[in-house]
Amino acid sequence: MTALRAPLSRIVANPWAQAGLALLLLLGCYGLSSGTVQILSFVLIGIIFAQSINLLTGLAGQISLGHAGFFGIGAYGAGILAKTHGLDVALGVPCAMLLAAAAGWLLSFPAGRVKDVYLAMMTLGFGMIFFEVVREWSGLTGGTMGLPGVPSPTLRTLRILGVKLDGTAYFQLLLAITALVLLLMRNLTQSRIGRAFFAIHTGEVGAGSIGIPPGSTKRLAYALSGALAGLAGGLYAHLVGYLGPESFGLTRSIEVLVMAIVGGLGSIAGQVLSVTLFTFLPERLQVFAEYQFIVYGLILTFSLVVLPRGIGGLLLEPARFIRPRALRAAAALPAALPPAEGGGVLEVTGVTMRFGGLVALNDVSLTLAPGRITALIGPNGSGKSTLVNVISGLYRPSAGRVVFAGHDITGLADHQVAAARVVRTFQDPRLVPHFTVRENLLLGAHRLQRHSALAALLGLPAAIEDEARHLATIEAVMALTNLTEVADRVMATLPYGTRRMAEVGRALLAHPLAVLLDEPAAGLSEAEMERLAQVIRDMKAMGLAILLIEHHMDFLDDLVDDVVVLDSGRVIYRGDIAGMRCDREVIAAYLGTEETVDA
Amino acid sequence: MTTITRRGLGALSVAGAGLAGPWHPARAQAAGTIKLGFTTALTGPFNEFGEGIRRGAELAVGEANRQGGILGRQVELAEVLDDQLVPDRAVQNMRRILDNQEIAGLMCPSGSGPSLAIVDMVVADGRPIINPQAQTPSIIYPDGADKPPRPNVFSVAISNTVEAEKLAIVLAGYRRIGIVHESTGYGVTGAELVKQAVLAQRPDARLTMESYNQRAQDMTAQLVRVQRARAEAMLVIGLGADFAVIRRNMSRLNINLALFGTSGAVTVPYLAGAGDLVVGTKAASYIVLGRRPMPAATRTFVDLYRAAYGTDRWYGPDAANPLISLANTVGSGYDCIGLMMDAIRRAGSTEKGAIIGALNATKDYPGASVASISFTPQQHTALRPEDLGIYQMLKRDDRVVLELLE
Amino acid sequence: MDDFFFSLVLAGISVGAVYALVALGLNLTFWTTRALNFGQGSLMMLCAMLTVHLAAQGLALLLAVLGALFIIGGLGIFIERFAVRPALKGAGSMGWVVSTLGFGIFLQGVAAKWFGAQAVAFPDILFSAQDYVSVFGQYVSLQYLVVLLVAVALILLLELFVRKTVWGQAVHAVSLDPELAGVQGIPVRRIILGSFIASSLLAGVAGLLIAQIGGTVDPAFGFDLVLLGFVAAVFGGMGSSVGALVGGLVVGLTSKLVGGYISTAAEHAIAFALLMAMLALRPQGLFGRIEVSKA
Repeated sequence: MTALRAPLSRIVANPWAQAGLALLLLLGCYGLSSGTVQILSFVLIGIIFAQSINLLTGLAGQISLGHAGFFGIGAYGAGILAKTHGLDVALGVPCAMLLAAAAGWLLSFPAGRVKDVYLAMMTLGFGMIFFEVVREWSGLTGGTMGLPGVPSPTLRTLRILGVKLDGTAYFQLLLAITALVLLLMRNLTQSRIGRAFFAIHTGEVGAGSIGIPPGSTKRLAYALSGALAGLAGGLYAHLVGYLGPESFGLTRSIEVLVMAIVGGLGSIAGQVLSVTLFTFLPERLQVFAEYQFIVYGLILTFSLVVLPRGIGGLLLEPARFIRPRALRAAAALPAALPPAEGGGVLEVTGVTMRFGGLVALNDVSLTLAPGRITALIGPNGSGKSTLVNVISGLYRPSAGRVVFAGHDITGLADHQVAAARVVRTFQDPRLVPHFTVRENLLLGAHRLQRHSALAALLGLPAAIEDEARHLATIEAVMALTNLTEVADRVMATLPYGTRRMAEVGRALLAHPLAVLLDEPAAGLSEAEMERLAQVIRDMKAMGLAILLIEHHMDFLDDLVDDVVVLDSGRVIYRGDIAGMRCDREVIAAYLGTEETVDA
Repeated sequence: MTTITRRGLGALSVAGAGLAGPWHPARAQAAGTIKLGFTTALTGPFNEFGEGIRRGAELAVGEANRQGGILGRQVELAEVLDDQLVPDRAVQNMRRILDNQEIAGLMCPSGSGPSLAIVDMVVADGRPIINPQAQTPSIIYPDGADKPPRPNVFSVAISNTVEAEKLAIVLAGYRRIGIVHESTGYGVTGAELVKQAVLAQRPDARLTMESYNQRAQDMTAQLVRVQRARAEAMLVIGLGADFAVIRRNMSRLNINLALFGTSGAVTVPYLAGAGDLVVGTKAASYIVLGRRPMPAATRTFVDLYRAAYGTDRWYGPDAANPLISLANTVGSGYDCIGLMMDAIRRAGSTEKGAIIGALNATKDYPGASVASISFTPQQHTALRPEDLGIYQMLKRDDRVVLELLE
Repeated sequence: MDDFFFSLVLAGISVGAVYALVALGLNLTFWTTRALNFGQGSLMMLCAMLTVHLAAQGLALLLAVLGALFIIGGLGIFIERFAVRPALKGAGSMGWVVSTLGFGIFLQGVAAKWFGAQAVAFPDILFSAQDYVSVFGQYVSLQYLVVLLVAVALILLLELFVRKTVWGQAVHAVSLDPELAGVQGIPVRRIILGSFIASSLLAGVAGLLIAQIGGTVDPAFGFDLVLLGFVAAVFGGMGSSVGALVGGLVVGLTSKLVGGYISTAAEHAIAFALLMAMLALRPQGLFGRIEVSKA
């Protein structure tokens, strides 16, 4: 299988092969029976619907058990607009799509507050309520009697912009729309928006730390996913011509989720294969008569045992998340580090952080100056990471202020702090594991990317140029952090030290003025540590204000300018490193712990 | 015969199913036959109806072929597909059936949802279709009963309209009436029609209507609302298993009032689930199976069924007295196909216009479930109020039976 | 007391107690694996179906019940081993949705094949629908009472088990951090397996209780109940037994009261409206712990 993957992936990704397949279907459908054309039309609609789940669950990591709701909004919206109000399909379906997008956007507000199982339940509730509403609101939807007579090729009543469409012509239209959707989905995954979705998927804290706002990113994902599901629903309405509430119940939500998961979440081609399989499956399974349920159940039970990453993962190599065109454009640009800019002063004044009765930080004050490295040390549990969490916006302090470059950033959300150009790293690197080093670094530049969503989706020159510019910077940062050799390796396959370095590099890409490094040297080898020290010195030379949490005294010795020592949430020392070594209070704080000041 | 072949081949094809296409009984047999087709719920939770209809259709075809076929040609059920009562599957199946240009006549799926989903596409196609079982009147009369029917759609099913009229005659004996109905097309329209019919008979009647979701396990809220309205009688419009839940629930709440059910409600699951509690329940259903002696056509059908399948779940344990619900499922399928073959014979052709013309001219056709069937271009439903009887459930010889109340 | 109100309340807390039982079963596997069994409804169905068929083979009813529960418990092992464990390997994946659902559909197919697709009568285990006691002049159905008592007793027993026994503590440890529990020498695998067996048994008992009320059981039985079990579990707070009980009772009572006083058409939707409101306002549920994500 592995040997097959590379050639298969090349064929799937080849634009000629894609165009060939589309052309084959476009012309070949004349030779097919109308029943087959109709099933293929169901497949195409299913593909769009599955991409909607793929976008929300596969990319943005938000599971949905209520997608039939969006599908239904699209279907009833299009059906009612066309049948009751006589609106042209060319207008009705986009309106229905917008309606579903609006529903998705609205749902994202409560849904954004929960995840995993809770999110599954919330979306389940949405789907069930939609179903009940459709059934009871008979004045609008026809209630349990359904909505018959929606213009459709089956009834020979479908006209779009005055042109009458039969089943084959409608299939060709669906094919064109599906091809466009797939193209846009591909572009999306290779754009700043798609990468931000993956970042949210991997972890909202990690995403926020580099300035990706979880809330609005999720809202966008819900709206886009709703729009796709609504589009599928609208097209479905005009395919079947009759809408009954049973078609939009939990079964459909589950069906599409199953298709998306078995297809391989995140894999666009996998979805296509899976939908094709599952649409034809029930028809093929009719030969099993009363064994149908047994066979279908067994396929579902064991599909993930056999295919842990779905059909897409079995047949194809993992997708990449930067447009090849942007990469080629970047190669022509000179590699340059972010320009050195004189930065601002970060001032922490009287910060106190209480968790219930526990005081984690007690009236802590410190100042980070541009071009200076400040070490924050202290025994385990002394509040070092808590302080970084407060500054970076993960915790809102119980008292005290954090001011950066004259702006009060106290209590701002983490992505807003990052936008104010105060960027942090974590003790455990929070990178997207299935992204390459380069892709992860590009994520760091996310907040600086200015091209519009439309440009990103369509792959317009504005987007390509913007991406290329940042990719050129990445080239320089990778040279600095010694990552060039592993640039195109997937993060999860790399050793720990490399991942730490990548996270530091990613922080640099965000053009910070102040960086907060939480134990960056932990777990690094001697050589890697030297490299890291050099990077930190370079950052200092760029004029950044640097806070460095570290235990490793040798590492700090000839690196840091100032030292702040925390113990039990209080600052017990402030000064240079030599002075710290003979400070009685510091020595007392370290006695009795396993760590020694001069390890 | 056909059943055995289907099963046998089904079992054989299990091994190579991934490769095999959907299996058509037709392909194995000679061309030149008259071909009929339908999609119905052969498997899944609602196959009591679909499987019954299929058996009825096969009995009718087998009998016709034994007597030399129609127009000298053998008849075959060339496309028999399974939709499990899922509307999308019914649409896909019907499309495939319609693609087979040799198919001369069709039958609607069981259930109103799938039937409504496919009916417009069959009208667009123009070939004749007969509805065995779905009760919603709008399948036949999309614009109301006083407007013309869909030109190629006919029905032998118990229509909600006729059933409502029949039930209204007995319900009008009460002033306060509760109607508990399922929240489907069948339940909602049925309840509305019964209400109108009762009010037409008795303008001072007070009706309380409560809905429930199919498969609900507790109906206390519905029942106590009916009770609070001081209803003297209650009608249940729904399926047998749900009716059983309601009957038991009444017993738990100590609610005792005159209880009525629709033909769909007094099926085997009601008898099985509610046990002796069913005694006293009254229901409307096809009258012919309750008559003694049965009309000749009904007798023939009943004997054919027993010869083929014995005294099984559909027939009931008593050879002399088949379950009334046999007419509802198997009998309807038998009549649909019988009517279609009769029309083809009279038309002398399998051309769709000719068959529809012949169906429109059907006069006093002796059906198994409806004693005398006539259609006209305006009248596409076979059932008249007099074709339904009101039955009462009684216990006789330790066995619950339905007895016709004349 | 008003008859109308009393009937609604009694039915509400009775069916609510069954929801609670289902919710508790879902909770158990959620504690140990963060996975929910979407095939729980099929286990309910199968337990009731097996009881009917074992009884039809001439087995005494009590033995039939025990036999059915034994088989259902065994299926719990199977579900853990083949549907959940492989699906949990891919971190963060919701693959268990597909595999547990698939297993449920499989069981449904098996039941339809061997026991028929139609509803079969379920025998009255302890009391019939007509049995009642009179409490303060109110007519109280013994079936409702038995359902309520069995469900509450099981929930209390389980709560006691988790709080007071060594095994219960081990379950607790696994729920907090399976890796740490493993390091501490707790047999994590066995605890997880146990949780699936217990969860399946609870589903089986819930199936028997509700089949008792409805009087029939068919292969598609149970799925709606599991949805309401989900609602109850989330409403009360995933992972809390008291929450499951309170959640089940609140869901049962609210839907009956809304059905009785406002409209029976809203009876079903109200449960899901409650669910969404609770998740939006207090995602951890009534008695749930906030899951702290460490920065």
